[in-house]
Amino acid sequence: MPSIGQRRNRPGNSNWNWIFYLLPALVVYTFFMAYPLLNSLRLSFFTGSGFELSRFIGFDNYIRLFKDPQISERYWGDFKNTWIFFAVHMIVQNVLGLLFANLLTRKGLKGSDFYRTVIFLPATLSILVTGYLWKLILNPQWGALNLILGKLGLMGEPFAWLGEPSTALITISLVSSWQWVGMPTMMFLAGLQNISGDLFEAAAIDGASRGTVFWKIKLPLLRPIIGIVAILTFVNNFNAFDVVFAMENVNGAPQFSTDIMGTFFYRVGIAGQHPVGIPDRGVGAAVATLTFILLAIGVSLIMGIANREDRR
Amino acid sequence: MKKLLLFLLTMALLTAGLIAGGNTDSAAASEKVTLTMGSWRTDDVEQMDRVLAEFTKTHPGIEILFQPTNPPDYNATLRLQLESGTGPDLMYARSYATGLQLFEDGYFADVTDVPGVQTAYDAGTRSPWATAEGKSFAVPFVAVSHGIYYNKAIFAEAGVTVPETWDELLGAAKKIQAAGYIPFANGLGDEWDIAEVVFMSIAPNFIGGYEGRLAYEQGKKKFNGPEVVALFEAMDSLQPYLPSGYKALGYNDSNALFATGQAAMYFDGSWTIGTFDGVDFDWDVFAPPVPKKGDKGYVCFHADAGMTMNAATTHPEEARAFLAWLSTAEGARALADNLPTGFFPMSSNSISIPDAHANSFLAMNKGRGTDVRWAWPELLAGTPSGYDLMMNGSIAVLTDEMTPKQAADAFVEGLALWYPPAQ
Repeated sequence: MPSIGQRRNRPGNSNWNWIFYLLPALVVYTFFMAYPLLNSLRLSFFTGSGFELSRFIGFDNYIRLFKDPQISERYWGDFKNTWIFFAVHMIVQNVLGLLFANLLTRKGLKGSDFYRTVIFLPATLSILVTGYLWKLILNPQWGALNLILGKLGLMGEPFAWLGEPSTALITISLVSSWQWVGMPTMMFLAGLQNISGDLFEAAAIDGASRGTVFWKIKLPLLRPIIGIVAILTFVNNFNAFDVVFAMENVNGAPQFSTDIMGTFFYRVGIAGQHPVGIPDRGVGAAVATLTFILLAIGVSLIMGIANREDRR
Repeated sequence: MKKLLLFLLTMALLTAGLIAGGNTDSAAASEKVTLTMGSWRTDDVEQMDRVLAEFTKTHPGIEILFQPTNPPDYNATLRLQLESGTGPDLMYARSYATGLQLFEDGYFADVTDVPGVQTAYDAGTRSPWATAEGKSFAVPFVAVSHGIYYNKAIFAEAGVTVPETWDELLGAAKKIQAAGYIPFANGLGDEWDIAEVVFMSIAPNFIGGYEGRLAYEQGKKKFNGPEVVALFEAMDSLQPYLPSGYKALGYNDSNALFATGQAAMYFDGSWTIGTFDGVDFDWDVFAPPVPKKGDKGYVCFHADAGMTMNAATTHPEEARAFLAWLSTAEGARALADNLPTGFFPMSSNSISIPDAHANSFLAMNKGRGTDVRWAWPELLAGTPSGYDLMMNGSIAVLTDEMTPKQAADAFVEGLALWYPPAQ
């Protein structure tokens, strides 16, 4: 022990107190984040029916995931669905967030606190609540949406938004975007408020239009925030599970059209297929590992792009 | 450095103290034996507490705590508990392969010689919880039945009577639709119900009940034979009579459509009886109609739950006493009086059940054969399971993705991947 102390013993750094500040977070991180993550990596090379997967099988779980037509068809279908789910969030949720933030910082806007609260409110609710709420609104028998569309003469027969494979995934993505739009709004808002007022003043003196101010001043200065928002959206959507679970159950009804990687992982690795309900934890761990690798690559790509923009 | 050591030491002492404190607590209750019971019936806490209180009345030294798990997680949770040695002393056992697997892995006790098991139940009733050699791994506990709920007022208004054949059923549906009501309340939103309470409810009539099912399981009949095609055709024929937007209507929506008097008929199980207790119209149930006049009728009377004990329990005597009690006349009465409506005790000691609608369900069994849900005995053990194939096939014909013939072919092709009799 003393030898370590001596090695680290540089002037002004002889005190070990700093470790107490680090220790709680380090312990929590090690036991609840790093260990489970590494353990699930390890489990993806094992198989067995229960708690302790005991039989080492090398890459068999991965081979099954890609070669077994039953499993691989689902995996790639869900892979595609997850990208669609992510794309809708990027386009709808984040663009709307940027728009709202821009409107909220407009000078002379009355009641901006009220709008801010309204926009953020859905994000404070449980997804089970919003999922149920939207299921009611979209219900083809007594839902408000079909009633309104019918009254406006836009639609004759009630439409099963959540029952058609062609519309269900987009509908769910939009519900989720609606719920979380407050997050990017708040982040962009904070970013916009950080931009020095001098710049806007100078722009005004130069006679720049609103559009020019947005494209030439606000957007470039928001780049780091856009990077962070993109990373958060990416990570949250590739880990998403709850909104589908709440609105379409674990199978991603109808006909797996809303099945995403989160629900697939839940079925394979945690709950098993109804009514037997015995999971295949090894394959589940393999799915989780692949998702982790995908996320790691995606996040470093986005961060790389955002950092390059910074350095310019 | 010293500070760090001191800190770690304090932490260690504190943790040790906490653990030791926990131990002294559990040592206190040693006079009375307390057993835990695992279950997937989170809805039945009140009813089961009453049943268990009845047991404690005659066995004062034993108290049983009912600790149910969220239904979809039960199988996985129970296995985790059993493997990590924290399993309950007594527990609900799934029928057939799911339960059998836990017995073969050594977690369920052998209950073959528990008093009453051999005498209070016939072999057919024991079979869902018995091995091929006749060893019982659980005591038959409760069964559920399937049928078609109907609104008597709408039937009277539309001038229809209880149908006996499938054609009469469709004829009735047509008249009901003309009278401005939704003929059937069922939808596809939740997926499981179309398979369990529609397809598997009508299946025994089309494939010939228990004997018919055995013919498929022994490879004597083809899983895409004419009977199965007719079964998928029957599913398909319901499509015009389902509620508008049926593709997105879930189980709760269907319940609501029937309970509010908007739908005249509803395929469902006996467990829903209680839901319609307070509705302001007269209703009853009828058995799924047979394909042609003169065909023998069958009812899907499904072995839902067995009761078994943990092979590693620390109180085997007490756990056995409870299992034996279940099979006595006294135990059967406690179940009949206290189980939630629509769950039927299975012992031949069974006493009459108070609820009139529950009796209508039981009355359907008279003069008809009974069988469990088709997928349960053999078809759940592989991927894709027979359950999934029945469910996906039913949904496909009801959404015009497949013809009944294609659905039957997909059924046999899926099973053939792992199930020898289908190959």
